[in-house]
Amino acid sequence: MTPAIITNNLTKRFGDFTAVNGINFEAKRGEIFGFLGPNGSGKTTTIRMMLGLLAPSAGDVQALGISVKGNQAELQQRVGYMSQRFSLYNDLTVQQNLQFYGAAYGLNNTDLKSRIQDALVMAGLEGRENAKTKDLSGGWRQRLALSAAILHRPELIFLDEPTAGVDPISRRAFWDLLYQLVADGVSVFVTTHYMDEAEHCHRLAFIQRGNIIARGTPAEIKKNMMQGQVLEIASSDAVNTIKILRAAESLDLQEVELYGSLVHVVAQNVEKKKKDIQKLLKKEKIQIEDMAVIEASLEDVFIASMK
Amino acid sequence: MSFRHILAITRKEFNHILRDRSTMILVVFTPLVMLLLMAYALTVELQHIPIAILDYDRSATSRDFVQQIVSGNDLDLYAQVGSIAEIEDLLMHGDVKAALVIDPNFSRDLLAMRGMPMQVIIDGTEPESGGFAVEHIASRAEEFANKALSTQIQMMGFSADALNPLDLRIRTWYNPGLKPRNDLIPGLISMVLGMPALSVALALAHEREHGTMEQLMATPIGRGELLIGKMIPYIVAGLVNVVILPLLAISWFNVPFNGSFPLFFALSALFMFAVLSMGIIIGVFMKSQAAAMGVSFLMIFFPGFFLTGIFFPIVSMPEIMRLESLGMPGTHYATITRGIFLPGVGMEILWPYAVMLVLLGFSFTGIASLFFKKKLG
Ligand SMILES: Nc1ncnc2c1ncn2[C@@H]1O[C@H](COP(=O)(O)OP(=O)(O)OP(=O)(O)O)[C@@H](O)[C@H]1O
Ligand SMILES: [Mg+2]
Repeated sequence: MTPAIITNNLTKRFGDFTAVNGINFEAKRGEIFGFLGPNGSGKTTTIRMMLGLLAPSAGDVQALGISVKGNQAELQQRVGYMSQRFSLYNDLTVQQNLQFYGAAYGLNNTDLKSRIQDALVMAGLEGRENAKTKDLSGGWRQRLALSAAILHRPELIFLDEPTAGVDPISRRAFWDLLYQLVADGVSVFVTTHYMDEAEHCHRLAFIQRGNIIARGTPAEIKKNMMQGQVLEIASSDAVNTIKILRAAESLDLQEVELYGSLVHVVAQNVEKKKKDIQKLLKKEKIQIEDMAVIEASLEDVFIASMK
Repeated sequence: MSFRHILAITRKEFNHILRDRSTMILVVFTPLVMLLLMAYALTVELQHIPIAILDYDRSATSRDFVQQIVSGNDLDLYAQVGSIAEIEDLLMHGDVKAALVIDPNFSRDLLAMRGMPMQVIIDGTEPESGGFAVEHIASRAEEFANKALSTQIQMMGFSADALNPLDLRIRTWYNPGLKPRNDLIPGLISMVLGMPALSVALALAHEREHGTMEQLMATPIGRGELLIGKMIPYIVAGLVNVVILPLLAISWFNVPFNGSFPLFFALSALFMFAVLSMGIIIGVFMKSQAAAMGVSFLMIFFPGFFLTGIFFPIVSMPEIMRLESLGMPGTHYATITRGIFLPGVGMEILWPYAVMLVLLGFSFTGIASLFFKKKLG
């Protein structure tokens, strides 16, 4: 089967400014492809080009095996989109929103009825059909937006920061839905800046200022991008631990970052530096409760690569 | 063109309008409220104007004359007074808008065919009522004089027909900003019926402003389908007003409706199509609701004041303005409305205006769908 998405030197310039700079990647069918990047890095611009809403300045993109350019109408019927800005009508009810998007994709009344029922079940909104969408909390709304975007059973769905500003439990519930979709054979392209979500993707691309700086499975990215290991330290005083370790130039540490209440240190041969670190902290009267070399998380990689 | 797509948009748009009572009232009843406001602010209805009368003559003739002046609905006798000072007092307090002073020589001069010496004093702060009082008194005086004189002449043995009656008509100062209701209201109706065009422009700008336009563009709904689907609910809201507003004009303001209502309805539907297409163009070009609002007022209502000939005749306009005025649906519709209301003319006279509305409607929709791309940025 052809890949879900192939981009070929895809580029978008706004005047002198290059928002997306010749990016290349491939998203496989039936997988979650994560597109990671900080604010303004070009994620939305890329999605718009993949949907045919923006014409590329150079390069091209294929979705579901056909070129986006010139086939916009066919593709629009076969893909789904949940835009970054709230994609539902706030002033309409749950039912009215679902009805509209179903009809927009040409569903007939019988199909529409059963699909709306499915969507309500999926979003967990049975019995709340007549609630105004603006009265739903963020998590419900995002799940509703997702179920609206797949009413027409797209083969590929684009989600632009679908969980931004949503509480962790709702985010988990949203990702459970994505896994269900993938289990049903849908290909998912999702942008995010949450690192924990990136870990859940089958494949990733990091974009920064319009350039892809890393791509692959989460494991590949960690292996390729991380120049060192991560040492996790639980101490009596995390803030001072960071201060002291950052000042200790002789140790040659690449990164010293706060990670929850813990401290993550990134360095080459970190195992050998453990003793020196212990000594140094002891001298400053900081108690080390636990210290272990751990597997790097994507967040460690991401922060390291941003420097 | 897919009927289902158009229906999807139309239904959604109806849901927006009907989502709560205040939005619905806004879309459906704003033209009505605007008509009421402007009708009261811009027109005068002159009836039962209180006047004072000072009769120095105190003859049977002058008493008859006074009787005749206040016999209709137009002027009410507030008080018969004895001095100019009293008149001044009544005028100052606003109790009367005008006062008639009958000269001591009134009946003597009238019977001698020397004239009708009298004086009308008016309240300068309300020139329209005062002016109306003067006109009314003058026309009553003319009738009175003619009747009195023909009796006189017949008594002298002449034939009344042989004589030109006295012409006592007086030219009165008249405020051109104010017009009698019958003339103005049909024009106002044509103007406020442009309201739905503002609503449709705002509805489009709203989608853009809230990011839902992007979502719409990603659906298979075509741009033509989107624009037509958006227009339909506002055409319906407009047509509701096409029925309500003439009823209001007829029953509330007593404006005569002499033409054919089915014709008025049909031509109004053409106007809705033309003016809503103009609203669509505004909605397509403007990125925010605030901008759409401003431009709509400029393009839909402002020309209404100047270009539709409601307040200023089109012939007295400079050439360029006149050309622009031809491009405004409101110009043609104002002519149609006034024609059907008052003289009650039909298609034999109105067809060129109807043709213009159709042409404008199609060119505006054409321009709108040409510039409205299913693309962003
Ligand atoms: N129509 C446009 N005209 C000019 N510049 C634009 C336009 N659209 C986007 N940009 C710029 O291109 C860059 C990338 O924007 P984009 O919206 O793709 O970023 P993003 O990764 O989606 O960011 P965010 O996380 O904030 O959504 C930004 O600097 C933005 O200002
Ligand atoms: Mg974005």
